[in-house]
Order: sequence, then structure tokens, then C-alpha cells
Amino acid sequence: MIAARFDYEAPTTLDQAVALLARNPDEAKILAGGHSLIPAMKLRLAQPQLLVDISRIKDLPHIREESDQILIGAMTTHYQLESSATLKQICPLLPECASHIGDVQVRNKGTIGGSLAHSDPAADWPAAIIALGAELVAIGPSGERVIKADGFFVDLLTTALGPDEILREIRIKKPQGRFGQSYQKVHHPASGFAVVGVAVTLNLGPNGSCESAGVGITGVGSKAYRATAVETTLTGRPLDEQAIAGAALHACDGIDANSDLYASGEYRRHLAQLYARRAIQAAASQVS
Amino acid sequence: MKLEGTHQLHASRERVYQSLIDPEVLKRCIPGCEQLEKSGENIYTTTIRAGVGSIKGVFKGNVKLEDMRPPEHYRIVVDGKGAPGFMKGSGDLDLEQQGETTVIKYRGEIQVGGTIASVGQRMIQGTAKLMASQFFSALEAEAKTARGEPPPRHGFFRTALRWCSGWLRKMIRR
Repeated sequence: MIAARFDYEAPTTLDQAVALLARNPDEAKILAGGHSLIPAMKLRLAQPQLLVDISRIKDLPHIREESDQILIGAMTTHYQLESSATLKQICPLLPECASHIGDVQVRNKGTIGGSLAHSDPAADWPAAIIALGAELVAIGPSGERVIKADGFFVDLLTTALGPDEILREIRIKKPQGRFGQSYQKVHHPASGFAVVGVAVTLNLGPNGSCESAGVGITGVGSKAYRATAVETTLTGRPLDEQAIAGAALHACDGIDANSDLYASGEYRRHLAQLYARRAIQAAASQVS
Repeated sequence: MKLEGTHQLHASRERVYQSLIDPEVLKRCIPGCEQLEKSGENIYTTTIRAGVGSIKGVFKGNVKLEDMRPPEHYRIVVDGKGAPGFMKGSGDLDLEQQGETTVIKYRGEIQVGGTIASVGQRMIQGTAKLMASQFFSALEAEAKTARGEPPPRHGFFRTALRWCSGWLRKMIRR
């Protein structure tokens, strides 16, 4: 399979990339790790006229701590996130989530920014990013703006990013106090994508009850979503078996579950509830 | 694959039905529709540039309306193909007046084949749902703007005018 003709640019600064994109935003695409775009181009399902390769822009891959935040550059690869000793300590959900993505080759080349901007309905990162309540920084011709994670995913393969904007950085508040996190996933046997994936973050108060919860679910609907009903049901309650099982039942409230040849909507709903329970249990057991 | 859904539109049933069988309105409402022309009694040829995100493709095909019972029911039969694959299907639309609003119920069966089906199977239903909701919100806007006005006439003159202008265009192109 050979892609249709396209122009290729590899700018070395973000400003150059923004300017290239602004020339013809509807026909240009940003190339990050290329693990979704390149196959789509080879099958000619995507035929952009211009590829703007952002891999030569310095500083786009980075993992940094800044006061109470973790800053992750859009071009940081899944493997860099999976293997980061810092993240394993301060926010283990990110390495855990990264370890579930595709295979070694995909994780070596694929990037967190590319995955988020592509918004595949079964991608892993969106669940984690939503559970962590991250902020996404986009840059466009009119400067920078910050988009909240749970408003970033608009629909199937559609995000809040404008066609002339580039995702630059992901900002996550450092988890504080007594917290636990987990990502539980049903792998599709062929593609490795999430049939269902549930990311959970929990904060426990001094009396052992749940102070706050973040729950992001991917694979079930046409986009990853924040399971607010699960979060509110957990909040303020002691995390016993009954509370966890009860909260997990709300995993797909208001969600129109996807059907495909591998999994029916009904099966996906069942899995989402089951894996929400497991993810909450696992997160609760991590709390120190 | 089965496709089912319900949409509530804030417009009268007659108005919605008229919009649903008006090729000009349909052309404006179908996401990515570039061309929709009558090729026979209740048969249209169409070109649609469909896509979500970076995945795009052009489909050419036919749309046929059957079993028309204004203003409550019709059946739509479509088939089309393009570089990414082919699709064919049919669906029943039922319109129900509920107070000031019209509830459209649709259920159908579509078959998708080719590249798009072999690699994008898991996203076909999502794409169909997305396009359906875009279509119905556009249709609602159309039906709303014309609320209180009589539906546009499609009498002899307009048909004659359209035929003449089409013929003229063909002559000029030669």
C-alpha cells in the first residue's frame, strides 16, 4: 500500500509549525508518532496534502515537575512515560496506562500528544488524562489556550482542537495526600486497543473515606468520557466492597455504547461496570 | 449492521416531512453532500464527501425513496461506493407529531465493505451515529427557519426552470 502524494515539512520550532499549518489547515496534518495517521494514509483513508512533522522541534518531548504540576510535552513517547522513574513515584497511573498501549514498537514511536489529538474512541490515554483532570495546552495562530481534559474529546476522532492548532503540552496536578490510582483494561486481542479501559484516581480523607475521585472510561462510547456518576457516588463514602460495587454500576450512565463485530454494546456496558469495579478496588488498595 | 435511533425536532410533522423529501434541503443537511440530483421518480444520484477527523473519502451513489405515506412514513434505500469501500442499506423513517415537536424514528440495516470495513469496522457505527445526529440537527434548523411559512412549492414552473437551467448549463459546457 502506497500513500497518495503529499508535501512534507519538518520545522524546527513550534512557531514555524503553526505557520505551516495556518497556510491550509483543512488539508494539512500534524505528524507525531504516525501510528494512526501513516496506516490511514497508506490505505488512502486519509490523504492530507501536507504533513507537518513536529519530531524535530526541540523540547516537545519532556517530562517535568514544576511546583505542584507535572508537565508532559506532546511528543513524549509512550515508552518514555512508561519508563519514567519520576512518574512511577509521583503519578503511577501514567506509566501504568502507557504499559497497556499496543506493543513495544508502538510504544517506542507513538506519542501521548498524537494519541490525544487523534481521539481514537478506544485509545488508552484519554481515560487516564480525564481521570487525572489534566489540562491540555494548544497553540495556534492567535496564541496559546488551555483546554480541560473532559471537554477536549468532542466525538469520534474529533477534539476541541481547531484545524490550525497544535497540542503542545499536558499539565497534570501532582496527586497529593493519600491517593491511589489504577488503569484496568480489556485488550482487543488483535489490535491491542481497549475494548474497555477504566482509569481511576482516588483521594482518601483522614477517616479513610473517599475525599475525591476521578474516573475516565474509554472504548465504550464514541469518545472517552468522565464517569461523573461514579465519581459522585464514591465521594464522601468509605471504600468498602458494597460502596465500590454500587458506584461501578454507574459506569455507563447516559452513554450510548458502541457495537462492532467483536463486542456488542451490551457486552461493552457489562465490561465497563466490571472493570470500573476492579479499577476502583485496585486504586483503593494502592492507597498508602 | 443495524442502525436505530430517535430524534426530536422542534417543527411540525408536515414541515419535517417536506424537508425530508426536498432534494435541496437534503443536500444542505447531509454532512458532506456535494451533489444530489434527481435521476428518476423519487430516485437521486449523489456525491458525498464523508469523513471524521483525518479519515475522509468520497462516495458516489443512489438514493431511492419508497413506500411514501406523507407525512408519516417513508423508506430510504441507498447504495454507494468510493475509494475507501462500498455501502448499501435501507431504512424506515417514521414521523410522529408530539405536541409542537416531531419525533423521527429510524431503523435500518446497512452493509459496509471494502477497506473501510476491514480496518475501520469498530468505528463504522460511531461514524453512522455521528453523521445521523449532524443530519438531524441541520434538518431541524432548516425546518425551524421556515416555521409559520408554507412549505416551498415545487410546481410546474420550478421544475421547468430547473430543467431549462440544467439544459443550458450542459450546452455551455459543450
